[in-house]
Amino acid sequence: MGSTTVLLYSACPREGSTPEEARSALTLGRATAASLGGDLEWFLLGAKPSDAEAIAAEQGVARLHHCAAPELGADTQVAALEAFCAAHAPRIILFCQDFDSRVVAPRLAGRLGAGVVMNAVAIETGEALRVTASAFGGDTRGVYEFTGDGTAVIGLQPNACLPEAAESPSAPESCAFETDLGAVGERIVVIEAASSEGPRLEEAEIIVSGGRGLGASENYHWIEELAEALGGMAGASRPIVDEGWTDASHQVGLTGRITRPALYLAAGISGASQHMAGCGAAKAIAAINKDPDAAIFRYARYGIVGDCLEILPELVRAAKEQRHE
Amino acid sequence: MKIYVFVKRVLDPDAVNNYALVGKLEIGADGRSLTQTAIPDLMNAYDEQALEVALRLRDAGTECTIHVVTVGADRTAILRHAASIGADEISEIVPEDPEVDVHTTAALLAAFVRQKGTPDLVLCGRQASDDDQGVVPALVAEALGLPLVNVAKAIEKHGDSYRVTRVTPDGDEIVAVEGAAVVTLSNEVGDPRYPTAAKKLKARRVSPEVVTASDLGVSGATRTKLVQQFVPDVEQNCEFIEGASPAEIADRLIERLREDRVLP
Ligand SMILES: Cc1cc2nc3c(=O)[nH]c(=O)nc-3n(C[C@H](O)[C@H](O)[C@H](O)COP(=O)(O)OP(=O)(O)OC[C@H]3O[C@@H](n4cnc5c(N)ncnc54)[C@H](O)[C@@H]3O)c2cc1C
Repeated sequence: MGSTTVLLYSACPREGSTPEEARSALTLGRATAASLGGDLEWFLLGAKPSDAEAIAAEQGVARLHHCAAPELGADTQVAALEAFCAAHAPRIILFCQDFDSRVVAPRLAGRLGAGVVMNAVAIETGEALRVTASAFGGDTRGVYEFTGDGTAVIGLQPNACLPEAAESPSAPESCAFETDLGAVGERIVVIEAASSEGPRLEEAEIIVSGGRGLGASENYHWIEELAEALGGMAGASRPIVDEGWTDASHQVGLTGRITRPALYLAAGISGASQHMAGCGAAKAIAAINKDPDAAIFRYARYGIVGDCLEILPELVRAAKEQRHE
Repeated sequence: MKIYVFVKRVLDPDAVNNYALVGKLEIGADGRSLTQTAIPDLMNAYDEQALEVALRLRDAGTECTIHVVTVGADRTAILRHAASIGADEISEIVPEDPEVDVHTTAALLAAFVRQKGTPDLVLCGRQASDDDQGVVPALVAEALGLPLVNVAKAIEKHGDSYRVTRVTPDGDEIVAVEGAAVVTLSNEVGDPRYPTAAKKLKARRVSPEVVTASDLGVSGATRTKLVQQFVPDVEQNCEFIEGASPAEIADRLIERLREDRVLP
């Protein structure tokens, strides 16, 4: 078997359909594989999404590998990938960056002695393999060059590129990848699982977020009320989560949720790069800030210079009125 | 028990933010380093939180030696800060190339720990606020053959195992890990402690142990090189909405959002 050029790895903990991020990653992977004169392949571990074949064809995937796994702990994932790499020696392994892959990708690199770059937004293949990655929360971009010809492990930011279908669809060859994962013992045992309730910010179409400019914990309810009036979800900047005005599941940003709603309404948020890392991909940002020079207005499509405590109640009223129209 | 805490010196991210905001972030002639001398250095905040958790374990009655280690030359300032709040030992590892990559950093740290003997816990920040990579803890875990628990906010010791509270996107999760582990800490740990004036003064007299890459026999671990750094363009395109009263402004915003079909 020849060696693989570009491989996208997706962990599929539960049945369902392919997430949008995987399509974006396949689009980017396809361009990278083409520039290296090789094929794009896709490796699914766990429950294969029902639309995997269709997406693979749309994205021009040459081979679709699948391996069933009873459990998708980090140790299992790294072991499966290690076995896959031993068999296929990919030049590039792409990960859609999320909470779990932030562990699995660098651990795999460590296991293989490979190079790794996370937060990637672009890949260039000239004389050397170069990856552009976000740094300082997004204030800068670093361009990293991989120094050897070994496997390169790359974590892609969710918004690295827009998914685009291949010019002509492929007829992906389905390959079952077999490896014995039964012997892999997970070294980390979950004693008390996280109890997520309801929808996730990542999937919200409308997010209303508040920051330190709200002034006090008791004003956060305006964010929740406006979110509800607009049929959206409530978000927050890190400092107010740290202060306990709302819980960590609402934190938007580099180290919180990476969201991409149609509307992101930010009230009393300065627009630090680390916050924007979690909402910069919104289709439209509306910002309320009393400081006309606040960074948030650099990213906003709609801006209101003013006191959010005066504007928010009126927005709640106006949103409710339009709903009843 | 022996706890290692790995720390990194970074440019103050808030200062970097402020320079970026006013369009004054400068990249040096090498095309890749930030050159503002006015931006102060400090200990990566997540690493301070890692040290804080080590100190809390001690406060909770665990007898331990806390050894704070960094990679880079002339890191005395951050290491003395660590000593002033309770680190027992401080060391700096001087790499061959000052522009050391994450792979060599991890190889150096792992070799250092291996040379000193078995750790019980290795604590690190979840990521560094300069490169945001967050891969060194995982690379070290693999090099030492240890499990990695990431993005934690609390650690309790129960006999030979640890209970770690992780901050996951689905809420807090409690995991158990048997024996030695690498754990990364997040800001949910809460504020790290400050030194007293007396402890600060006392720390001025301690000097870190200095170890070199060749002492550790580490070479050839480099896998990536930063070849360029730039400040991405932000296209400013903001329509400011004005009005005579908050009510009028609010109505206008909703109206504009509907016109542009941002809202249904
Ligand atoms: C490594 C790292 C990771 C980070 N991760 C995250 C993250 O995931 N998410 C995150 O949010 N942050 C993160 N941060 C922190 C980030 O850099 C900022 O400090 C934070 O986003 C600022 O929050 P804020 O905008 O609420 O507060 P501030 O920066 O204090 O801004 C408050 C704003 O409110 C305005 N204001 C004040 N009063 C009013 C009023 N009455 N009406 C209207 N406006 C008002 C002010 O003009 C100001 O612009 C991270 C930082 C680092 C270093």
